[in-house]
Amino acid sequence: MINRNQISVARKEFTEMMRDGRFRWAAAIVLGLLLAALVMGWKHHREVSRQHEAARRETREQWLHQGAKNPHSAAHYGIYAFKPKMLPALLDRGVEPYTGVAVWLEAHKQNEFKYRPAADAAAVARFGELTASTVMQLLMPLLIILLLFPAFAGEREQGTLRQLLSIGARRTDLAIGKVLGVAGALGVLLLPATMLGTAALALAADDGAVGASAGRLVMMGVGYLLYFGIFVGISLAVSAAAASSRMALVVLLGFWIVNGMIAPRAAADLARQLHPTPSAFEFAQQIDRDMKNGLDGHDPADKRAQDLQRRVLAQYGVSKIEDLPVNFAGISLQEAEEHGNKVYEKHYSALWETFERQEILKRSLGVIAPMLSIRSISAGFAGTDFSHHRDFASSAENYRRVLVKAMNDDMTFNAGRSDYAYQAGPELWSSVDDFSYTAPTARWVLRRQAMSAVLLALWFVAAMGAAMGAAARVRVDV
Amino acid sequence: MLGRIIRHELRNLSADRTLTLVVMIFALLIGYGLYNGATWVDFQRATLRAAGEEEIARIAGARAVIEEIDSGRSEVPRFADPRSPAFAGGAGGARYAVMPPGPLAALAVGQSDLYPYYFKVTRQSRQTFTGNDEIENPALLSAGRFDPAFVIIYLYPLLILALCYNLLSQEKEQGTLQMIMSQPVALRTFVFGKVLLRATVVLVPAIVLTLIGFLALGGEIFAEGAWWRCLLWVLVVAAYGLFWFGAAILVNSIGGASASNALALAGMWLLLVLVLPSLLGVAASTSYPAPSRVEMIQAVRRASAEASAQGSRLLARYYEDHPELAPAGGAPDMNDFYARSIAVQTETEKMMQPVMEYFDRQVLGQQHLSENFRFLSPAVITQAALNDLSGASAHRYRHFLGLVEQFHHRWLEYFNPRILRQARLTARDYDSFPVFAFKEEPAGAVVARVMKGLLGLLVTTAVVVWLALRRLRRYPLTA
Repeated sequence: MINRNQISVARKEFTEMMRDGRFRWAAAIVLGLLLAALVMGWKHHREVSRQHEAARRETREQWLHQGAKNPHSAAHYGIYAFKPKMLPALLDRGVEPYTGVAVWLEAHKQNEFKYRPAADAAAVARFGELTASTVMQLLMPLLIILLLFPAFAGEREQGTLRQLLSIGARRTDLAIGKVLGVAGALGVLLLPATMLGTAALALAADDGAVGASAGRLVMMGVGYLLYFGIFVGISLAVSAAAASSRMALVVLLGFWIVNGMIAPRAAADLARQLHPTPSAFEFAQQIDRDMKNGLDGHDPADKRAQDLQRRVLAQYGVSKIEDLPVNFAGISLQEAEEHGNKVYEKHYSALWETFERQEILKRSLGVIAPMLSIRSISAGFAGTDFSHHRDFASSAENYRRVLVKAMNDDMTFNAGRSDYAYQAGPELWSSVDDFSYTAPTARWVLRRQAMSAVLLALWFVAAMGAAMGAAARVRVDV
Repeated sequence: MLGRIIRHELRNLSADRTLTLVVMIFALLIGYGLYNGATWVDFQRATLRAAGEEEIARIAGARAVIEEIDSGRSEVPRFADPRSPAFAGGAGGARYAVMPPGPLAALAVGQSDLYPYYFKVTRQSRQTFTGNDEIENPALLSAGRFDPAFVIIYLYPLLILALCYNLLSQEKEQGTLQMIMSQPVALRTFVFGKVLLRATVVLVPAIVLTLIGFLALGGEIFAEGAWWRCLLWVLVVAAYGLFWFGAAILVNSIGGASASNALALAGMWLLLVLVLPSLLGVAASTSYPAPSRVEMIQAVRRASAEASAQGSRLLARYYEDHPELAPAGGAPDMNDFYARSIAVQTETEKMMQPVMEYFDRQVLGQQHLSENFRFLSPAVITQAALNDLSGASAHRYRHFLGLVEQFHHRWLEYFNPRILRQARLTARDYDSFPVFAFKEEPAGAVVARVMKGLLGLLVTTAVVVWLALRRLRRYPLTA
């Protein structure tokens, strides 16, 4: 366990950092930015949640009070689905600025989400938004590097390393003490931030929402602690191995740049090249083609219509459409809808599988840069990654199918012979339940983030191992 | 003397192998960036080509159907009848309005991955066809692209700083500075020589590699507007680089140790390239909060529901205002679906106008604010200038939207009267439909914006260098 020497080293490191003007300034800046990010995140979250909630209620009201109408017109009118915001989203906005805010659920078509907030923002937003996650993913590691690059190299340059070793301090005790010291200093910084963050979450939350997201928040916290640990380990290792503190700093800054700046973009571009996304044009054309010619390409729409007519006439044992006890327009609308659903199913699942493969590739590149793992974990538990978007989109699409089917069925069984002149009223509209969406559980996220979590843990172990290894071999003079 | 300093430095740097390493890394990064930029341009071009082919095939198909109908070989329902102006003005005869990638598009992807670059213009309201975003994995969009602009804005300063952070401090730490200063050479000349060499080995490859890559990937230097864009690109990249050289001299002139210089410069880079831009984004979006799209969607829906509810009354009023549009011979049909939808759409757009105008004003306000304050950070100035030069800026997109709006007007002016008169189109009429032609933004506007940014960069650099030269006078030669 921890021995007295380690504690003395930790105390000395901690005191030194606290008295170091550089640390105080840097920590104040990081803390200030973190707090600003939390306040902004909280304001944004409150505003957007309010808008989405109001819009969700209004779209339902519009649906209920749309007046007497043919059910198929009502299906065309449709509703909009707005994705509810989860509480941890205020810490990490993830892909939210780059996904549309709403999707129109209407007859015949599975629409794309419209209006990406980023497209309405100024170009300067592409430098990255100020969120708690940016501060944690980019600035905290830099602060750690700043604190630790002279850990061994600096002691050696000042001659204090020789003294320490001469009085019998073990090299690994020094390393462990330094880890503890820096952990204490970061704790001084992170503790108030965590408390204020929790306060922001509690203020932004409706009753019980904090409790509901507690699991997600804890997982996110563990992820970040591992991530910081990686930087502590690497900084110590480099400082112990480097010829001078200057070299240590340059190497560590280089690592920071590759990890935080280059890796995310390079991984995204690689993913795009290995698993290319089709153009919106090509995607729409393929859907059109399948709609017209059938999924196998040999089942054109008019033939499908004739088959359906024959089948329905046979089913009811009549020879003319006029003799059917049900409305044929309703049946054929639903038949077309079912075919459309299959076509959309095929193309959207292919598209989303492509995105999923891109994500998996990016996550596996977490082997090279821990940033890729922590980004994935952070957005995953914040409920703002692509998987959550997909989950919501599928849920909205299922609702669309239920709604359109209810309209077509009403037409089939109640329209008689009046076809499109038939009108339904509020009873039909209210017979369709309101759209409600429950976000997936923390366990669901954990399954998806398993690879990133394992990679992050491996990095942590490797970084700490490297630190201890390099410390054990640290030389008194170069 | 200057020549001797430069030769000496060159020998030093080559022996160190730093130079070769830096230039090689840089070449690699630029090359990869160019490849990515070119891939994106090819993707856009292929999409536009496919759209053009689809348009030609669709219109040829419509003509063929008209011939079949005329010769009595075929019958089609009204909603699919290519002779009907409602069909032809809708999806049937729609034309694409296209904004092709600019001549330097491969050099900066900018905002072009967020903005649509073609619209299928129909007689329906503009909102129905202006939402055709390109499909993309949002996580890839948020990471941004590894394009040459990214290399220039983020990494190129770092390479400069890696070469210059210990410009003087190292000489001092080695004790060589005192020896050199005992020779008849001014400290300024010495610094100037060192920087001149480093600037040459960074700027020349940056510019030459970019241009060679650009040409190798099929960029057309002689395309309209390409040469002055290339020239301005070179100037902006050079000015941005000079700013960072200036910053390195300034930090060195203070006289700290190499490690503190590295820290100070890394902090400066962090502040100017990451922190300030993100604070600027926050300032823009809080000063001009864009009214949410969520609320806009609901407003459109309210307006169109209201207008549809009064459909026939609106149509009656429409005919009162435009008696010349009534179908020849006989009273207008108040239940005609297409005629009613014209009246409803006109009314909806009228009701929506203030909402849309407010929305546009706020978005524009955000952009203006961030543009006016871009002078706070050379990185933001450079981003804006490079986007402008490559044609990936909000300005060019807004210009495109303006052209599309005009085209949509012409389209409606052509089709609406024909729909109301219940005219019949012939195969030949298909040649007289309005056609969209993209015109680049006037060169003067682009040059003016870029020059303003360039001036901002040069003034900032001049101030930084002036401060550095003043400090150098009192530079302590010993630690």
